[in-house]
Amino acid sequence: MLPSAAVFYFPWELNSDLQDGQSVRTCGRLVDYQPEESKATLSAQHASKEHHVIVHTMFVEPFNPIIGAQYIVLGETDGNEGIGTTVRARVLNCVDGVNVALLHKAVIEQRSFFRERERKQCDTAKSADAT
Amino acid sequence: MQTETMDAAEEPSSILWGLDPLFSAFVRLYVSDILHMTESTQVPGIYFYNQHPVYRVDVLGTVVYKREREDFFCYGVDDGTGVINCLCWKSELVKDDRPTGGEGGDAPGGFNVEAELSKLRRSQQERCRLDIGDLLRVRGTLKTSRQQREIMASNFYRVCDPLMELQISWMMDLPQLYRDCYDKKLQLDPHATSRDSPVGGASIVVRNFLEKNSVSRFRENDLKELLEPLVAPPSSQQLQQLLKQTLQHLQDEGVVYPKVKSPDQVYLVTSRDKELLVAILDVIREDSRREKYAEKGCHVLHILSAVRQRYSVNVSRAALQLLVQSLESSSDIISTSDSHYIAF
Repeated sequence: MLPSAAVFYFPWELNSDLQDGQSVRTCGRLVDYQPEESKATLSAQHASKEHHVIVHTMFVEPFNPIIGAQYIVLGETDGNEGIGTTVRARVLNCVDGVNVALLHKAVIEQRSFFRERERKQCDTAKSADAT
Repeated sequence: MQTETMDAAEEPSSILWGLDPLFSAFVRLYVSDILHMTESTQVPGIYFYNQHPVYRVDVLGTVVYKREREDFFCYGVDDGTGVINCLCWKSELVKDDRPTGGEGGDAPGGFNVEAELSKLRRSQQERCRLDIGDLLRVRGTLKTSRQQREIMASNFYRVCDPLMELQISWMMDLPQLYRDCYDKKLQLDPHATSRDSPVGGASIVVRNFLEKNSVSRFRENDLKELLEPLVAPPSSQQLQQLLKQTLQHLQDEGVVYPKVKSPDQVYLVTSRDKELLVAILDVIREDSRREKYAEKGCHVLHILSAVRQRYSVNVSRAALQLLVQSLESSSDIISTSDSHYIAF
């Protein structure tokens, strides 16, 4: 039984709009790790604001936590905590040194391609209906 | 899972599949597109993306699911748009359970085959044995088994990408590939007349006739009887039109040319026009002696203008090309470059 695809979201996009249990992928800088509670905090800067993502790390432990390093997390959203959206990690990889700006650019490029394609398909569907 | 088959009427004919460059390539599609491709009704195992026949794909993604059996690994690969199963067969080196690291005594010269072999085994296992979270690159054929689409890997390996450089460049490349190749319809030469078209069919009939009867010259009316059965229902206007189009097509290909333009047009069959052949050869031989062309050779357009001056102003480039190629095959001339020729 394959898990569902984890779409990339920026940390500031992980809010209560997303459904619970949705597979997501995100990245951020590790600012805090509490091994007793299996909780890590990733942070990212956007629009002069610091956005945090709480990550439950019970499935990916033990891992070598490097505070300040960039991490990529893949897992399911879990918004029951009341402290904002958390992610239950299935995959937690350290990608320290990654070109964050380039990664963001690539994600945006991919999204704009999908939007463009969807729009084209809608247009051809509409013109097919019209004829 | 998606097992929709394409409407047989919409599918391009399987004869044409080989003309599509994507058919022979490992196509880099998003996993969601791979899962949604429709299967062919003509040949099961071939899938269509935007009318392109595809059966081999190339995927880069994170391993999110792993199953190991004696002979193969089954990895679930997630590229952000979908998850697909990849069947990765184990090579003999990977299956080997012998403990790696058996470094025996050094042979004189310092090369120990056992140690090297165990190192190879270790590196092979490192590359093929993946865990959840690792990055996997898979190239293989698509198949649908038990209503699930899978990739039978012909080549797979763990990708070392600590700075995400490869993943980022993959994300940037794919939209470009889609825009340039995958989302474009296959463009066959718009000027090509296919065998199925009436003009194409008629050209073949005329060529066979000219070949069989060793015709060297003919008039338009000589072909009327030949093309009559191809026009149904019989109509002199349609016949005339087909005749004109066929002759034009044959002229464009260089098979025939009108040596002297006259009301009662006589066409010469290029391959049987010995005088034209000799004229071309003379032009090339004479010019090859001149210092200007001795080394580089004569350009085909130069030969064409010379032949037009000496022999007939109606010789087309295509007709010239045909004869120049036959001269080259018979070693009377040599090509010094793509369009330059010199006497042998």
